[in-house]
Order: sequence, then C-alpha cells, then structure tokens
Amino acid sequence: MNNNQKASEVEPQTNDQNNKNPTVENIQQLGQNSTLQAESNIFCMTIIGQVEGHMVLPPQNKTTKYEHIIPQLVAAEQNAKVEGILIILNTVGGDVEAGLAIAEMISTMSKPTVTIVLGGGHSIGVPIAVSSDYSIIAETATMTIHPIRLNGLVIGVPQTFEYLDKMQERVVKFVTEHSNITEEKFKELMFKTGELTRDIGTNVIGSDAVKYGLIDTVGGLSEATMELNKKIDEYRQTKNGGMVQ
Amino acid sequence: MIMYSIVPLDDIIEGIENNEPSQEIELDGVIMQVQPMNSYQARIVRLISPNPQDYLNPAYSPGQTIYFHPHIET
Repeated sequence: MNNNQKASEVEPQTNDQNNKNPTVENIQQLGQNSTLQAESNIFCMTIIGQVEGHMVLPPQNKTTKYEHIIPQLVAAEQNAKVEGILIILNTVGGDVEAGLAIAEMISTMSKPTVTIVLGGGHSIGVPIAVSSDYSIIAETATMTIHPIRLNGLVIGVPQTFEYLDKMQERVVKFVTEHSNITEEKFKELMFKTGELTRDIGTNVIGSDAVKYGLIDTVGGLSEATMELNKKIDEYRQTKNGGMVQ
Repeated sequence: MIMYSIVPLDDIIEGIENNEPSQEIELDGVIMQVQPMNSYQARIVRLISPNPQDYLNPAYSPGQTIYFHPHIET
C-alpha cells in the first residue's frame, strides 16, 4: 500500500522534468538551486566549485559568486519564513577575502546554521565549513589544509613573506576560533610534508576531521536535518521567551 | 587578491583575457549586469540590488536568460 502510494507520487515528478522545471534549469545554468520553497522553513545554500571573489573567473571554472551569496544570507536572516540555514559545501577553494566574507556572514547569523561537507571542502572551504553552529562531514569527504600560496601581484621583497603570513593568520584564526582544533594542530596539518604530491599540507578525510576537532561529526543528510530541526526548536523557544509551543 | 585553492592558479585563470563584456540594464526596477547573447537575448551575470529578497528570486539568478522585445515607436 505504502509502496503504491510512493510510486504514484514519484511519477508526476518525472513527467515534470520533461517540462521546463525552474529548479532543474537553475542547476543546469548556475550549478545552484537558489529557489526558496514557500513551504520549507529551511534555506538550503550550496557552495560549489571555486569561490569567486574580486576577479571574474573564466567559464571553465564552476563558481560560487560571493556577491550573490551574501545578499541571499541577508535575505535568509531577514525572511520570517526561514528558520534555519543548511549550507552544503563541495568546493575546491577560491578567493581568500570572498571565502572569509561568506564564513563571517554565516558565523554571525542569528538563525541556526548547519554546514555539511560533501565531496570536498578544500582550502578556503575550511573556514566556511567551520563557520556554522554545527558542522558535518560525509565519511568520504575530504578537506585539504595547505598554506596560502604566492600569487597575484607580488614583488619579491622580504615583506612579501610577512604579508603572506598575515593572510594565512586570518584563516588560521577564524578556523581555530570557530572549531575545536588548536592553532598548533591546525598549523601542523597545514605545513606537513609528504602528504600531498604537489604541495605541503594534509588531506583530512571524514572521521579524521572530527578527530582533529575541525568538524563536529561524521554524517549525512539525516544528521544535518535532525540537528537543524533540533536547533530550530531551541531557537523558537528562546525567541518566545522560553515558552514551549 | 589571493586565490586559496587546490586547483593550480594557471588552470583557474586560463583564458581570462577572453572574458566577454557585459552591460548594465534595469529590469522591473532591478539593476542587473547582463551579457548579450544575440540581439534579442542576454544572460544575467549579476544583480545589483539593495533589496536582499531580489537575490532569492529564481528569475533573477545569474545564468537566467532575459529577452528583449523590439517595437516600433509610433
């Protein structure tokens, strides 16, 4: 009986896909589904590919535009229908300033936030992954922690090293402040040799990220929604002055 | 600008000088940057709007196509 019901529910959806489905089109065009469903109290945001910042990247890059993500976060914070934000990460990194801007926005939201790392949350994806109230990593997902490399407009003077060190310190500080990893451990992972073939650093996989204190738990969608719903309940209670509804 | 990514910088910026120019237009009171595809169509590149709710409108999301309708002024 149940199975029959499910089958009949699934069928119209496959028919819909033949028509122009705005969500599918969004994903095809943008790699992102930013449609806010009226019936959902969760705002789901995906951060995929390169985090695009001050420079428009050529079309071979799949990018997440930060100037679009930031107002969306503002809208989600302001919109009364949205009660929680789920951020899904599968990113190879990107612009330091753009990534830190997104991370700061997420960490300062009043509504409950949960991040889930699927596939990869590399480089600047690390601060974004730890910026939420609760972070989850899929068992097979990886996070590459490596030093910031020299690029952009750089002149070869001793001060360059100092500048780079300062840039790196911003990332290290954010990550250590928003997760349980210590600065020593994070830097140890960052400067480890012999782990990566083309760079120094560490590839942290699933449970290792939890072991180092970087991420809260290993899990998937059910853990994410369960945690978010729990936090939404707590949020409602504090909003209603401790009254249980 | 510093890129912090596992993808080599050369691969990221390859072909950056071929970037097509975009222009600003106003549609329904929202300013947006669009990239013309032909005389009748353009693709939205980014929104420039002070209203955060505009960024949640799927019709305005980057990658969407907008259409120009030519008409003869009488």
